[in-house]
Amino acid sequence: MTISVENLETRQVDPTKPLLEVDRLVMHYKIKAGEVSAVEDVTFTVHQGEAVGLVGESGCGKTSVALSLMRLLPNNAEYVSGQIRLDGEDLLQLTDEEMRTRRWKDIAMVFQGAMNSWNPVYRVGDQIREVLDTHFRGQMTYEQQREHMERLFAAVGLPGEMLDRYPHEFSGGMRQRAVIAMALACSPQLIIADEPTTALDVIVQDQILKELKRIQTELGMSIIYISHDIAVIAEVTDSLGVMYAGKLVEYGPTTEVFARPKHPYAYLLLKSTPSITGPRRQLAPLEGEPPDLLAPPTGCRFHPRCPFATERCAIEEPPLADIGGGHRVACWHWEQVPDLEEALLR
Amino acid sequence: MIRFLARRLVQMALLFVVFLSIVWLLLQAMPGDISDTLVGNPDIPREVRFELRQRLGLDQPLHIQYITYITNFFRGEMGVSFSRYPADVSTVIWQHLPRTIVLFLTATVFAFWLGFKSGKLIAWGRGGRSEQAFILGGVFLQTVFYPWFAIVMMWVFGFYLGWFPISRFIDARLWQGSPYDANDLFEQMILSTLLVTVVYVVGRVLIKRFATTVTMEARLRQALVLVTVGGLILFWYLHPARTYVADIAHHTVLPVVTLGLVTFGATMLLTRSAMLETLGEDYILTARAKGLPDRVIRDRHAARNAMLPVTTSLVLSLAFVIGGGIVTESVFSWPGTGQLLLQAVMVSDIPLAAGILAVTGVLALVGHLVADVLYTVLDPRIRIT
Ligand SMILES: Nc1ncnc2c1ncn2[C@@H]1O[C@H](COP(=O)(O)OP(=O)(O)O)[C@@H](O)[C@H]1O
Ligand SMILES: [Mg+2]
Repeated sequence: MTISVENLETRQVDPTKPLLEVDRLVMHYKIKAGEVSAVEDVTFTVHQGEAVGLVGESGCGKTSVALSLMRLLPNNAEYVSGQIRLDGEDLLQLTDEEMRTRRWKDIAMVFQGAMNSWNPVYRVGDQIREVLDTHFRGQMTYEQQREHMERLFAAVGLPGEMLDRYPHEFSGGMRQRAVIAMALACSPQLIIADEPTTALDVIVQDQILKELKRIQTELGMSIIYISHDIAVIAEVTDSLGVMYAGKLVEYGPTTEVFARPKHPYAYLLLKSTPSITGPRRQLAPLEGEPPDLLAPPTGCRFHPRCPFATERCAIEEPPLADIGGGHRVACWHWEQVPDLEEALLR
Repeated sequence: MIRFLARRLVQMALLFVVFLSIVWLLLQAMPGDISDTLVGNPDIPREVRFELRQRLGLDQPLHIQYITYITNFFRGEMGVSFSRYPADVSTVIWQHLPRTIVLFLTATVFAFWLGFKSGKLIAWGRGGRSEQAFILGGVFLQTVFYPWFAIVMMWVFGFYLGWFPISRFIDARLWQGSPYDANDLFEQMILSTLLVTVVYVVGRVLIKRFATTVTMEARLRQALVLVTVGGLILFWYLHPARTYVADIAHHTVLPVVTLGLVTFGATMLLTRSAMLETLGEDYILTARAKGLPDRVIRDRHAARNAMLPVTTSLVLSLAFVIGGGIVTESVFSWPGTGQLLLQAVMVSDIPLAAGILAVTGVLALVGHLVADVLYTVLDPRIRIT
């Protein structure tokens, strides 16, 4: 197996230029019982060539953010307010048909259920060809398509003959590699990877993440990694956002957030994740579960579970404030978090 | 594939022998034999009865009879019909079978085609106002007491509206002194339709292979439909027996539609639920994320996978052939094997009844084989070795 991205188109990157700007995005699901506030006032920017991570327990709205960006939300979802700007253009203002032509060409996605991303009745190659047929209609001959797909497969370390196989003939890891190959098919500017390796075993998980990271940097793409496992994506991202109950509670350079988390939730989440690669950490309990977003807690949504919570936290919602160096935290007591460790040890 | 087919054929043959044995046993369980029924007839002398027993092999020991019966069957000889003496059972069946097959095949093909299309569309356009109406109609058709429904259909369209003839296969008055034989003409109609179907299928394959653009493909497909269907109609329009053919066709409509509607309702509901299930699959979300047009997602991804359970039901509906056939054919006095079976049973024409059952068994087995092959074509995960 040779892995080469040399034959794929690479993009010139200006890391200071914003590619995707998510601006005060609010998205709710309407259900019989009321509105689920799944994405509440989320703001972050992905620059050219940047890898951004989103972490949080399951049910915190990460997938909802991802689907919002692609406008792939279920019918009961409603964009309440905010903008999603790709290269300065608000995706929410596009018509359905315009948005359809952007999908995969500008933003591709590797799904949470990537194991089942393949339609079982078609050959994998034909399912990739479908993308080329849609977005490069009439621009590629059948042979050129084949050649291109073989290059894509080479880039993710799969032999070209596998294109003629059916999905069930692939192992889990191979299927996921093939999904990544498909995501690269139109050289998108941005890839959203929602729990791309969650269902895989640890070794394969690690391999695939590293390869994805390498391909992404070499091709000059931006990427949004989504995971509930902070340790997994800390290794491959430049910036890291922590989501809790539909809100972004902390955002900043990965090194900062990972080494010195300032939001109590980020801190506890990090401490409660066992790390296989890093040094052994003290496991601290993160008790309870994320709230029901049909009726989220008032004030800071984390306050019922927070060891620092005061009366103010239950009433007033903390803003996502910059504490320097592009590090933003939504907590009234972020300065006390270093004390948390001591408090916990006692 | 070849090995699979060979093995299946052997299996089918064995299964069929078992089936035939059961039929034969049932035959033996009847008191007396065919010749007994001739005893009371003063016109038939005793010697004839013995001769008949001898000729039919009824004087042989049971196991010899059994073997003879089975081997004869495979030679296509099913004995002599009692009620239509001296006609062969096979001749009688052969006369009636095409009518039943046409009735069923047409009704089933149209019902599945339309049921699949409408089930697909209502599942795709969820929540539309027509959805409720379709579901209601589908449930009605699926659960309705079929004989009652057939009579209502006949009353409404045959009697009240007078659009279609009420019963039978041909109009006797029209055919009086006709230079044509209804059975021959009917066979020609079947053959021409089959021919056109083959041409259509080959055409579709060729179009798929050689069309370069999507619009060109759609155009060619329309042209193909026009040429084949138009050609068929034109051929029979110019045919000298045109009024007779039209008469047969006219008689065929109501039973086909009645039988078809029931299958249609079931197929539509099944397709809808299968479609709703596939629409929730991850690969549909992937297909949408890929930016594929809605029509492609609906047809190529969702509907294609919803086809699998619908195919299963198509096979299971083969079992309906006997029951549905008897009811439809009785209500509409359609002279097919269903009606024949009913008559044969009522006058204790055991050889004929057994023959019809045996033929139905063969059809069901072949249907299952076809379905199995179809599965493997539809679903690559199912392997045949
Ligand atoms: N279609 C939907 N209708 C109503 N609520 C939904 C829907 N999809 C997700 N949710 C709710 O939105 C919240 C966020 O879900 P999700 O974005 O899947 O979180 P995550 O990906 O972080 O696990 C959860 O509370 C979930 O129950
Ligand atoms: Mg998720």
